Amino acid sequence: MSRVELITEATAPLTTRKYFEGGDPGPIVASLAQVPELVDVSLAFIGTVLNPSSIGFRVKEMVIVRTSAVAGCKYCVNAHTMVARDAGLSRDEVCALRTETPVDKAFNAAGDQALLAWVDAVAGSGPIPEHLATEVKRWFSQHELVELTLLVSTTLLLNRYCTALELPTDTGTIARLTSDGFAVAS
Amino acid sequence: MSGIADAVASGVLPGRVWMYSNYNCNLACTYCLTASNPKSPRRELGAERMRSIAEQAAALGFTDLGVTGGEPFLIPKMVDTVLALSEHLPTVVLTNGTMFGPTRFANATRLAVPNIAVQISLDSPDPDHNDEMRGPENFAKVADVVPRLIDAGVRVRVATTAEPDRLDDERTVRLRELVSSWGVAEADHLFRAVISRGRATAEGMGMAIPHYEIPAELTIAVDGAYWSPFGPTVENGRVDTDLLITRTIDPLSVPAESLLRLVEGRPPGSDARLSIR
Repeated sequence: MSRVELITEATAPLTTRKYFEGGDPGPIVASLAQVPELVDVSLAFIGTVLNPSSIGFRVKEMVIVRTSAVAGCKYCVNAHTMVARDAGLSRDEVCALRTETPVDKAFNAAGDQALLAWVDAVAGSGPIPEHLATEVKRWFSQHELVELTLLVSTTLLLNRYCTALELPTDTGTIARLTSDGFAVAS
Repeated sequence: MSGIADAVASGVLPGRVWMYSNYNCNLACTYCLTASNPKSPRRELGAERMRSIAEQAAALGFTDLGVTGGEPFLIPKMVDTVLALSEHLPTVVLTNGTMFGPTRFANATRLAVPNIAVQISLDSPDPDHNDEMRGPENFAKVADVVPRLIDAGVRVRVATTAEPDRLDDERTVRLRELVSSWGVAEADHLFRAVISRGRATAEGMGMAIPHYEIPAELTIAVDGAYWSPFGPTVENGRVDTDLLITRTIDPLSVPAESLLRLVEGRPPGSDARLSIR
């Protein structure tokens, strides 16, 4: 049960109705719609940062799932486990991203390992160790590093938002997680 | 000239800004949009904020103000607040007219200034018929106070809210004659439909209407800005959100511009025809 009332199609403010026309837009939109002026700007920003860009779908989902797992966001881990699978990540890789198995067992590529070690540091607290920053810069350009940093930061924003409001995982996602053999974070 | 001022001047956006001063009321009318009653949460907008909204509304290019509730005159300094608002723009304040004992009446006579109108509700020329909707002794109190306010120089408008089957032609004629006999100008006697929102919905009353048939009169309540005074309605103790525009009410330009964007995106040929006035 969410800690705030989730707006429905029937109660959607005028400027948010477009998000409800295609069915349930999910609890992030349904909660944001409590404050209509936040919706368009928030979703434009979140969409731009999280959707594929100069950085591909697979890498972005690696970052999102790992960040969410480090931050302990059940909603985001559940939701992005299946998105990560859609992005082509294997079941073993996703389990590692979820911190259920060691990263180096599932990810052999040095670039992937450098990225995930850096993500763990960025999603944690305190300064980023120099050797992690140096290593990740071997694999990603400056503009990619900017994007990845903003991606971790934005994911953390959503992690805290979803966790604080206890946004519920939808039944469709739970069914997919179960059928793919993943534990449902709860 | 601001975009808002242009839109108001060209008729794209209605000129009036409404404020819900409070939600509590000494009455509990059957069709009340806000399901108000004496125990309703007050949800006051506050005098200072109302003055600020008035100042900003004038600066943006709006042309009129309206104050509604709840019953605005349950707030002790409401006369002072309305006088302050009227220094910025012409102001109409809605009241059920039942709050004017000797002290409040004497205070209300200060509203006899050119920029202010007091709008009092009356729904039937027959006391029992009226009071079924609005509460015991409502008719008698309104019939007493309207002529006295007019004698004191206050501009009084009368608003009649009724469903067609409750107010037939014969009653309508008698009501017009009665209100006119008190000295209310014909143009200041307004008739409006019951809208199926708030308590009217629970009572099975009124017409359900899409928002684009309601004038987009920017309406400010304590918890947000709405498409019209029909917006911040209350059902089962919860304020409706379907006509919410923004939670931001200050600066007023934020909801005003959001409302304008909605109006400009409204389907062409939309006929806004229903009003709280």
